[in-house]
Amino acid sequence: MNNLVSFIRKEVTLEWRQRYAINGILLYLVSTIFICYLSFNVRSNQLNPITWNALFWIILLFTAINAVAKSFIQEKEGKYLYYYWLISPQTLIISRIVYNTLLMLVLAFIGYGMYSLVLGNPVGDPVLFLFNLLLAAVSFSSALTMISAIASKANNNQTLMAILGFPVILPMLLMVIKISKNALDGIARGESYDEILTLLAINLIVGAVSYLLFPYLWRS
Amino acid sequence: MKRLTIISAFILSSLFVQAQDKIKIEESDYGNEQVEMADEFRKEGKIYVLTGVICLILGGIIAYLLVIDKKVSRLEKEIKKP
Amino acid sequence: MRKNWWKFLTIALLFYTIIAGLLMEVPRLVILNETIRALYFHVPMWFGMIIMLGVSVVYSIKYLRNPEQKHDDTAVEFANVGIIFGVLGILTGMLWAQFTWGDWWSGDPKQNAAAIGLLIYFAYFILRGSLDNVDQRARISAIYNIFAFSALIPLLFILPRLTDSLHPGSGGNPGFNAYDLDRRLRMVFYPAVLGWTLLGVWMASLRVRIKKIEHQLDL
Repeated sequence: MNNLVSFIRKEVTLEWRQRYAINGILLYLVSTIFICYLSFNVRSNQLNPITWNALFWIILLFTAINAVAKSFIQEKEGKYLYYYWLISPQTLIISRIVYNTLLMLVLAFIGYGMYSLVLGNPVGDPVLFLFNLLLAAVSFSSALTMISAIASKANNNQTLMAILGFPVILPMLLMVIKISKNALDGIARGESYDEILTLLAINLIVGAVSYLLFPYLWRS
Repeated sequence: MKRLTIISAFILSSLFVQAQDKIKIEESDYGNEQVEMADEFRKEGKIYVLTGVICLILGGIIAYLLVIDKKVSRLEKEIKKP
Repeated sequence: MRKNWWKFLTIALLFYTIIAGLLMEVPRLVILNETIRALYFHVPMWFGMIIMLGVSVVYSIKYLRNPEQKHDDTAVEFANVGIIFGVLGILTGMLWAQFTWGDWWSGDPKQNAAAIGLLIYFAYFILRGSLDNVDQRARISAIYNIFAFSALIPLLFILPRLTDSLHPGSGGNPGFNAYDLDRRLRMVFYPAVLGWTLLGVWMASLRVRIKKIEHQLDL
């Protein structure tokens, strides 16, 4: 446990020290949003809520894939060996998932701010929406971290990362979009419990499966 | 070892969720003459022609599968011999 | 001969499916009319796909516990047959959907789920293609297989719920999913599922045996 926390702290410091990586992702996110804004060519608040919603999540999905991809793909061989001696694979995958969750949270909040700035903010229930952003960050990172570990073992990483990731992330994405639609419409929160529970259940399954499978992947 | 058992348990347990409301099919549905079916076609016995054709095709495909099966068995034996 | 009894069972079941499926009495339902018989041919494809993919995952798990070439071969070949069933299921489903619901792609949850399942397994084969080392390919693809399947299964239960309002059964437009099968339909339906599934097992087992011979020749 102690190990876990210190490892996550190490990751964050490392990331902070070489900020170009996280800045790159941020810029990617912001430019994507801006491109969407320009190509829709709309003034604020003219997008229909369903489009607004879908567009937002698609942007976040692509950003997530790009952001999480580097968690294993961009590591150097030597670093792996070093980790291998230092910590157990379980600690590594969990710390990576937690770290990616934090990263996704930052990206999601900045993305939401930027997005609502240029494309308007029709959200009826901001609290639920923000809570949903948190859930989405957890889901994206729990599913994509394992995928990026798998993709890092193969050759043409980036493409592979995307095609392996899409089908796996889809169930979660659908639930997240549903909850976010509920938040947008501002309907009673009780209506969303079902979806939230399902999302948590899928997260649990995916997280548990990554936890159990990662040691096999790590051995090579 | 235990791990993989747990994984399979997970996958299986997610199979047992949810049921949907369904419409019952009643006995009266079988005699519901208002719904149009290919009755004329059946009366003329042409349905047997159709059944025959499909059965022949299935038979051909299965015969082909059997031939492949036999060939594979023969190869397996040959490889074991030397 | 004794080991092959199930192949004869397969043949018998398939002939029974076609003959009984075409000739036996079926309920007269609005919109579906005669096409209700597609139940015996289209739906088993879907069942077969899930069963084949399930078997594939079981062998992937077996491979991780005990890395033997034959487990990997079996996993791959079952995934292959599962894909064939999936493609056939989607194509027949589209044809049937065009007739009953008036659209080639009607957003039926099962159709979408089948499409996603296919996407996963196409990705699985691309992953296999991009790995050169035999052991590594087997192990990593086994891991992806298990991982993706455990994400796919919940989807099968989520999708119907999500698209409930669009679901052809509940909107006053009775597609087949809305009906509960009765005894007479089941009498053909279950043998049909078993028959088509066994056919898939047969094809996969042939491929596995051929692969085994190939490996032996390589040595």
